[in-house]
Amino acid sequence: MEKGKRQKKAEKSLSEFGSGIVKDISEARPPKLKVPSRSTSNIFYDEKNRYFVLGNKYGIRSAANVKQVKKIAQTLCVADFCKELIEANKFATLREMYYTAEGWDSGPFNDQGESDVIVEDLEAMFGVKREDLGLTPEEDGAAVYGEIVVREDNTVIDATKAGRGGYTIPPTIDDVEFLKCKAKRVIAIETMGCYHRFVQEHAWKTFDALIVGLKGQAARATRRFLKRVNDEFELPVYIFTDGAPFGFHIGMVIISGSAKLAYINHELAVPDAKYIGVTASDIVNYKLPTDKLRELDIARLKQLQKDPRYNTEFWQGEIKKMMELGKKAEQQAFAKYGLPYVVKEYLPAKLKEVEGEDFIALK
Amino acid sequence: MKTMASELFSEFREHSVSEFFRKNAAMLGYTGKIRSLTTIVHEGVTNAIDASEEIGVLPSVQVAIKKMNDSPEHFKVVIEDNASGIPEKYIPDVFGKMLAGTKLHRHMQSRGQQGIGISGGVMFSQITSGKPTKVTTSIGNGEMIQADVMIDVDKNEGKILNEEKSKGDWRGTRVELDVRDVTYVRSRYGPFNYLRMTAIANPHVQITFVEPDGTLTVFERATDKVPPRPKSMPLHPWGIMSDDLLALAKHTKSRTVTGFLVAELSRVTKAKIKEVQKLSGIDLNKKPSELTWEDAEKIVSAFKQTKFMAPPTEGLRPIGAADIENGMRQILKPEFAYAITRSPKVYRGGLPFVVETGIAHGGAAGKSADEAEGEEGETGGLELIRFANRAPLIFDQGGCAINAAVRSIDWRRYGVDTAAAPVTLFVNVVSAYVPYTSAGKQSIADDPEVLEEIRAAIMDVARELRQYLYRKIRTKERQQRAGIFEEYLPVIARKAAHLAGVEVPDIKKLIEKVAGVKVGGKRETPEES
Repeated sequence: MEKGKRQKKAEKSLSEFGSGIVKDISEARPPKLKVPSRSTSNIFYDEKNRYFVLGNKYGIRSAANVKQVKKIAQTLCVADFCKELIEANKFATLREMYYTAEGWDSGPFNDQGESDVIVEDLEAMFGVKREDLGLTPEEDGAAVYGEIVVREDNTVIDATKAGRGGYTIPPTIDDVEFLKCKAKRVIAIETMGCYHRFVQEHAWKTFDALIVGLKGQAARATRRFLKRVNDEFELPVYIFTDGAPFGFHIGMVIISGSAKLAYINHELAVPDAKYIGVTASDIVNYKLPTDKLRELDIARLKQLQKDPRYNTEFWQGEIKKMMELGKKAEQQAFAKYGLPYVVKEYLPAKLKEVEGEDFIALK
Repeated sequence: MKTMASELFSEFREHSVSEFFRKNAAMLGYTGKIRSLTTIVHEGVTNAIDASEEIGVLPSVQVAIKKMNDSPEHFKVVIEDNASGIPEKYIPDVFGKMLAGTKLHRHMQSRGQQGIGISGGVMFSQITSGKPTKVTTSIGNGEMIQADVMIDVDKNEGKILNEEKSKGDWRGTRVELDVRDVTYVRSRYGPFNYLRMTAIANPHVQITFVEPDGTLTVFERATDKVPPRPKSMPLHPWGIMSDDLLALAKHTKSRTVTGFLVAELSRVTKAKIKEVQKLSGIDLNKKPSELTWEDAEKIVSAFKQTKFMAPPTEGLRPIGAADIENGMRQILKPEFAYAITRSPKVYRGGLPFVVETGIAHGGAAGKSADEAEGEEGETGGLELIRFANRAPLIFDQGGCAINAAVRSIDWRRYGVDTAAAPVTLFVNVVSAYVPYTSAGKQSIADDPEVLEEIRAAIMDVARELRQYLYRKIRTKERQQRAGIFEEYLPVIARKAAHLAGVEVPDIKKLIEKVAGVKVGGKRETPEES
């Protein structure tokens, strides 16, 4: 969906929301809000789409309920704030909105948690992302380096000519137009250290790849970027993280979405993305320097074992192997074999694994 | 009757009357500097109320306690009533003769059960200050008598030192006692609280009180009806005490103790007397006048072990729920007051009694600031006021069945925080046979039937209080609830209209519907801000 369409959908949702309530009030009927439940009992793993989705449970909030009427008034105030943002073609962060609420008729919020939840309510009710409502997350997305050209308003940016750091993915990535892309694949990398290694070793050129630095757990904007290049240019997405339970999960959130954002995962999840490493097998096969698993790591691994997203032969095997090893390894551990090793040796081997012999079209 | 008292005290011949007084000070209520002052006020006020009721006049009693300059423990107590006045020839007897009152031989559920009447006050004043008591009285015949009265301790006789007559259109009696070795405090043991409690239990009485510092308090009457006089009836042997028995003995016309007991007491037969003789080991064929204090104690104890027919239950004179409520409303000005009079019950196998309770919340109810248990500066807390036959019980609260009953109740269940709630609890035990724990007659024995009945009566009024408190909370909640809707529904309407790009809809109907209130006045929010 392009920008204009997204905005229209958001505007229409807000307007219909308002007119439904006006109709109720005119007929002296207490307005009710039907808010999809985001409790764990209503979050399901959709096997077919391979990401988390919400079930059909709803919470009904009634303006005739003394405990809910204030929250409904606050919801209306947030909705109206969004309408004004869209009309003015502006963005605000959640924190800015929280402070703006000091002057609202429904009174200030007790903490930002309260106002954030209302934004999630609206996203779930309308099935639109907060970015479409004029609200942006706090943090920037990460960086991308490679042969993609984008347009932000009137500025055209080539991600190979945006400096050594690459093109910074803005929180408002949905406003950015992707003009052309010569890359054939995307490699998403957990740490920025490793990202810069890949850039320096010209991995983007060698592998015809967009190199994306995730900066740890991927921000919404980054995930949105991955989703869009996957959709719009049909680029396969590969994920390369530390060989540790928290690294595994950084990859999995990109692939299957998070439970917390289940109502919006259809806009964020990249189910076809592939996790390439560091796996437990890599630790063994490459004789990587390791750290001992901490208690927290073991507990996390046990959690992952039961998580439906990890219910595949590959993942169950890797988790088991890591627990047996009792060891984990960072992606930068490949430096043991010299700095270029990870790009010159490890990556080609891995890509051959996932793409097969076709991949040999190396430059 | 003129010689009755001297005969009564024949056993004390070897002692002087003043020694008798000192020896029995506890029984008479003259112990301690605070209590002695309260007892004097009690005797004077009781006399005044009884005298007014006797002639069917609404009692108006004026009490003043004046501090004398020479010593912090020297006071003048003045008590004035609007009753019948005292005929000249009776003045020496009324004020100057111990146990010369008119109550002893008329056995009824009487408010003046304790002490020896105003003559005790005269005696106390005489012992401590050496001064006579000034009496001013008139029977309303245009002649006023002023007399200085003292007690001749050897003869146990009243002595008039000075007497003056003057013309004056007034009826009533005014007594002025000069007392030393007493202290005035405004605690629950002092005269102020005694008068306050008396006013609550006697809503037909108006009491005016001037304290030593000049503070004037008027306890206004809450009803114009004089309560019916309690019926005089013979005492039942289970309820009689040694002093009653001796007083009766001196007064009877019978020649033998047996004859006197059968004639003067209720439900006593010759056959039963034989049992009593056996149990007590006393020759009951002797003359009543030969009975000693020890004999009387043995007979009383034998009575308790003998089976008699129970006394009749009629003749109990409770205050009545309406008047207790009136009394509490008048004096405490509470937000809520409720009282009940329970039906008569019996204890010790047949002695009839009635329990009345009242409860007040808010206003001046609850402990006063200096009595509160809570933090400094905090006021309130559950205040218990105890009565027996309308007479305030002020001392010995710790050992009293009423107190035990109050403490046995889980007050939180009734929404009462005993340390902070502005609650006054009134309990009156009515009986010709109130089971006092001691001769001081300030606390009630915890006979199981009595204790249980008091407890039930307290719970009756506590339940009513709980209902009231619950309703109060509900009303407050409803108002808060309505306020919330009035605040937020207009916001919803305004914002929804802006989202839809239409006119703001009329919200009044919806507010009325969900909040249950009419919208109007200054609470209404402007349509557009």
